[in-house]
Amino acid sequence: MNVVITPAMLAQVIVSGILAGSLYAMVALGLGLIFGVMRVINIAHGPLLMLGAYATYFLTTGAGLNPFLTVPIAMALLFVVGVALQRTLVFRVVDAPELSSLLLTFGISIALVNLAQLAFTSDLRAVEYITGAWVVGGLALSKPRVIAFLFAAGVTALSFVLLKSTRLGKAIRATSQSREVAMVCGVDVARIHMLTFGFASALAAAGGALLAMIVAIQPEMGGVWTFKSFLVIVLGGAGNYPGALVGGLLLGLVEQMASLFLTTQLSEVVAYVLLVLVLLVRPSGLLGGRQT
Amino acid sequence: MTPKAPAALAVALALAVGGVVPATAQAPIRIGASLSLTGTYAKLGKNQHEGYQICEKELNAKGGLLGRKVQFVVYDDQSMPATAVRLYEKLITEDKVDGVMGPYSSPVTEASVNVTEKYKKVMVAPLAATTSIFKRPPGQKRNYVFMVISPAEVYLEGLLDTGVKRGLKTVAVVNEDTLFSKAAASGAEEVAKKKGLQVVFKEAYPKGNTDFSALLTKVKAANPDIVAAATYFDDAVALTRQMKELAVNPKMFGVTVGGDLPEFYDTLKQNAEYIYGATQWEHVLPYPGNQEFFDSYKKEFNHEPSYHSAAGYAGCLIYAEGVKRANSLDADRVREQLLKLEMRTPFGDYKVDQDGFQVAHKMVTFQWQKEKKVIVWPEDLAKGKPLFPTPPWTSR
Repeated sequence: MNVVITPAMLAQVIVSGILAGSLYAMVALGLGLIFGVMRVINIAHGPLLMLGAYATYFLTTGAGLNPFLTVPIAMALLFVVGVALQRTLVFRVVDAPELSSLLLTFGISIALVNLAQLAFTSDLRAVEYITGAWVVGGLALSKPRVIAFLFAAGVTALSFVLLKSTRLGKAIRATSQSREVAMVCGVDVARIHMLTFGFASALAAAGGALLAMIVAIQPEMGGVWTFKSFLVIVLGGAGNYPGALVGGLLLGLVEQMASLFLTTQLSEVVAYVLLVLVLLVRPSGLLGGRQT
Repeated sequence: MTPKAPAALAVALALAVGGVVPATAQAPIRIGASLSLTGTYAKLGKNQHEGYQICEKELNAKGGLLGRKVQFVVYDDQSMPATAVRLYEKLITEDKVDGVMGPYSSPVTEASVNVTEKYKKVMVAPLAATTSIFKRPPGQKRNYVFMVISPAEVYLEGLLDTGVKRGLKTVAVVNEDTLFSKAAASGAEEVAKKKGLQVVFKEAYPKGNTDFSALLTKVKAANPDIVAAATYFDDAVALTRQMKELAVNPKMFGVTVGGDLPEFYDTLKQNAEYIYGATQWEHVLPYPGNQEFFDSYKKEFNHEPSYHSAAGYAGCLIYAEGVKRANSLDADRVREQLLKLEMRTPFGDYKVDQDGFQVAHKMVTFQWQKEKKVIVWPEDLAKGKPLFPTPPWTSR
């Protein structure tokens, strides 16, 4: 009754894995940045992504904008939300024990989801813009997912340029390596924390804005993305930014392969077993942690 | 003392002095329910809630039940069975409600019914379609739970029957890995076998899954004539979108739950055309009071009812009828009446066997045609012919 797996199917699934993985990588990069710079695991990362998705939905249906044009707007909006969250709440737990920051961001996450339920209701919404696929030599390339991939790759590449080559990026990386030394060298650490949180929220928002065109939007859509992002940065090495890219693509591929060779039911199991294995064998992640 | 206490005291005093009070001054009959107002099943749970609300309003307009007003006490279980269990405990032990009504979905009912059985509460469960909730092995019988809708196993029968009659030979069955969807999928497999259809692929996916590419790649390789999907709403939408993306082109594609909601078409637009769905109820079906229910619902909530709304409404009417005939809220007396009851509601027929399992209600299959659901099966209720075969995505 089961299907024989052909090379064409394998190719199709690899493509799907890379397309999904690019989104994982971009979103997880945000979580990784916050962890690297502030040592805070931001449970509210997924709910911030959800807000990005709603931003796209309302800008598209309300203001009639092209959904792809809304991606930078959603990022800018959520940058502001991120900065505000950091300035009012998160900065209080930066030096506190890690449990405090977990509890705080967990609280923020619950508050955001419930506020979204109140404000937007839990009705499922969708941005139906481009559907269908380009067929290239027997491979079906999903249009919305390919465009999301291009956006994600672009945003991720720009993020790396920002981190590598600009003064701000260098300050972010310096703060991440050693806050004290950065401070001694004249980096305004408080400002860097604020900007990093804003930037990370913008990355989550980009993920949400792109997902809005792929899956149904609802207030609880973010939760799974917190976990997936966490999985990605652990796989790649917490605090190691290129690691997010490797981890993201790896997670995308592993999930799709597991669905193909085993069953879709087992794909999440395989992903989390992989997490446990990496934690056992290479606790600092595949690329090692905290090198920037 | 709580702020309410002086008032209660005053009432008690009045009772002691006055002796008899008119019926209207009696405390209302409170009916508790946990519903999926948020979470995965939110859309459907909310419709059910609105069905309860219409029923509550109507009963009160007719003078209530046993001379008392009816009042629903509803909590949100966030589509999570464990939460619903906690809420029914609270409703029964803390809020001390007079009766309960069922939650949304089979998994949530399956979990909650353990609580209502423990406290011997009659629960009419209007949105539980899984046979195993009612048909129990000896020694684990449940006595107080009653089924309203047709069982999960027959949801895809109309789709398969329509296909077989047009000479189709193979089917792929996919389903969400939860109680109802699993039952619908295994029911579909049974039906397929009986009708001589070959099941060329079968696989389950976890609840909340959003990426079906690998699954659909395998479906495509199996090349079935029919794709039968036992779904809820999110996954029905996601599957449809990805079938288009991956150019999966069966001659018929049908889903179970979710496909009948107006939102299914609103979300997918023209991509929903040709898709088959199964429904327990449509407002065009000629049941008594159906049109009136449809009109007052639409007026009240500004949108059309789904079958979840109608089943919720009918379930509440059935419970009320049981109470009325028993002339009591006593669980055993209401149970006795509900076992005997034969009733035709705006939702269709109600009659259960000794296990509380529904035996009279009928399922219909429809197809989305030009923004409308056209009933195509069974033939005696059909309002149109299926558009067959479904053209490939590229030529729609």
